[in-house]
Amino acid sequence: MTLRLGLGVFGMQSVPQRPDHHVKLYRDVLDDAERAEALGFDSIWLSEHHFWFDGYCPADLVVAGAILGRTKRIGVGTAVMLLPMHSVDKVADDAATLSRMGDGRLSLGVALGYRDAEFDGFGVRRKDRGKLMDVMLPRLAESCQAADPPVPVYVGVATAIAAQRAARLGLPLFADSTMNVAELREMLGAYNAAAAAAGVKAPATHALQRDVFVTDDRERDWAMLLPELRYMRRQYGGWSFPQEPGEAVPAYLNRLEADIEAKLKNLIIGDAGHVAASLREFEALGFGLIVCRSQFGNLPRESLHRAFEGLGRVREMVAR
Amino acid sequence: MKLGLGPLALKGMTGAELASLGSHAVAASFDAIWVAESRAEGVGAGLAAAAMLGQLVPIRVGAAIDAGLYHPLHMAEDIAIADLSTQGRIEVLLRLSSPAASRYGASAERGWFEEHLTVLALALSGAHVQWNGEHLRVPAQIDANQPAPTRLALNPTPAQPAVPIWVESSAGWMEDLARTLGFGVAAPWRPAGKVPPATGRWPGMALCPGDALAEDLLHAAGDGPGYFLVTARTSQEVAAAGRRLAGPLRMPEFPSWINE
Repeated sequence: MTLRLGLGVFGMQSVPQRPDHHVKLYRDVLDDAERAEALGFDSIWLSEHHFWFDGYCPADLVVAGAILGRTKRIGVGTAVMLLPMHSVDKVADDAATLSRMGDGRLSLGVALGYRDAEFDGFGVRRKDRGKLMDVMLPRLAESCQAADPPVPVYVGVATAIAAQRAARLGLPLFADSTMNVAELREMLGAYNAAAAAAGVKAPATHALQRDVFVTDDRERDWAMLLPELRYMRRQYGGWSFPQEPGEAVPAYLNRLEADIEAKLKNLIIGDAGHVAASLREFEALGFGLIVCRSQFGNLPRESLHRAFEGLGRVREMVAR
Repeated sequence: MKLGLGPLALKGMTGAELASLGSHAVAASFDAIWVAESRAEGVGAGLAAAAMLGQLVPIRVGAAIDAGLYHPLHMAEDIAIADLSTQGRIEVLLRLSSPAASRYGASAERGWFEEHLTVLALALSGAHVQWNGEHLRVPAQIDANQPAPTRLALNPTPAQPAVPIWVESSAGWMEDLARTLGFGVAAPWRPAGKVPPATGRWPGMALCPGDALAEDLLHAAGDGPGYFLVTARTSQEVAAAGRRLAGPLRMPEFPSWINE
């Protein structure tokens, strides 16, 4: 089976380093989708968060609709939709309609979400997210299977518990970019065991998100990327590990810093040959679709497009 | 006067059919083309389909959507992103009564819709929202959610300073609600009837049959403006409706021999 490469994940953020207007950012992502299609990528993936100062995209299915209108062949997916914050009936109705209108090019990646402020905006207790997912995921999977054409559903995971929930339904995983090889192997083991215990046939492959930057000048691009990556990781880290009551700011920043440093190590950066070899290691684990994140916040367009083209060369290498 | 094609039912429609109707609407000089979801029939994605359509046509695009079925902040977000994805060309028609309410766990009561539309209007305005009503509390300020904000804002906001939104009215309170919130009022076509009065900056909207005549529409508008949505279904019907209506609606004393 050929390793498929997707491009992502796009959040259309107006970051402090490059605060473009959102009208431009949404024009850019549509242009990037056309570019991704021309470079032969399997799919393009959109991310979702709510009520954040940089305007992180809160409605990825609407952007998916726009991309389906702009392109002809490429798949479009959510990576990931934060399902417990949504009405599952709305998501199912939207997905079925878009799948028909987009000739079956839509995929849904769904996950729990983790930021309290987002849950609170929609009147949902964050602590209920697992129970909500237990109810919503089977309903969504059933609706998406019944859609014409059916909509593939992936389950975004960063823990064994989440993987086991997906396994009981036989749904493929969409593994988080922050997991290293050992963690991924352990999680797949938990998935397979849970699928076997439930008597469910495990899917042939899973999807994985990875931070990837293809460059012929690693030193130059690392210097360009580092502040952008730090911004992105500090943002996600701040959401995942908010400041505890009574925790001093310096201590909190040190805690965040340790998280950032650990996660930066998972970035795959180098020339096309190096990146292709690295992605092959994940394919060997059982990941048949790797969504390569090369857009971190809002990179300079020229640098981003150079990385896309490099990743296009990687796509040709891994397809052989 | 403004002339729109639709709302075209999304049920069973393919992307190719939508693209074809879109190109005919442009060729026939419509100001906008509209699509309609129908969640009672499991057909959603009205705003996503409008965003798709916005990539296929250069004119304005509209979505008729079922309101009150899910959280109004999700609806505000969908509207904002549809507007940004179409570079500020989105228009919206809210339908307040949907048989899908029970499936969605929603209410069809007046107070429910009043709160949902009020929160929607607040969010789209760019205000820092704090709402404490009978049905909705935004932010919810749930003790278990920590930290949670005391106010929140829609971000990003739409490209347009104000997205044109109409409420399809079948009762006096719906018209009052639309007027209060700065939305337009839409009503089904009635022979010899009048277009709903303009509210604020939005003309009244009439949902017309495909064979509507220009003189009837002009009569319905009277001395005021009108926005007429016409439900043509085939390329021939779209071309005929555009030829029959676009010129006379745009200019008084349009010479009838032009279309002979």
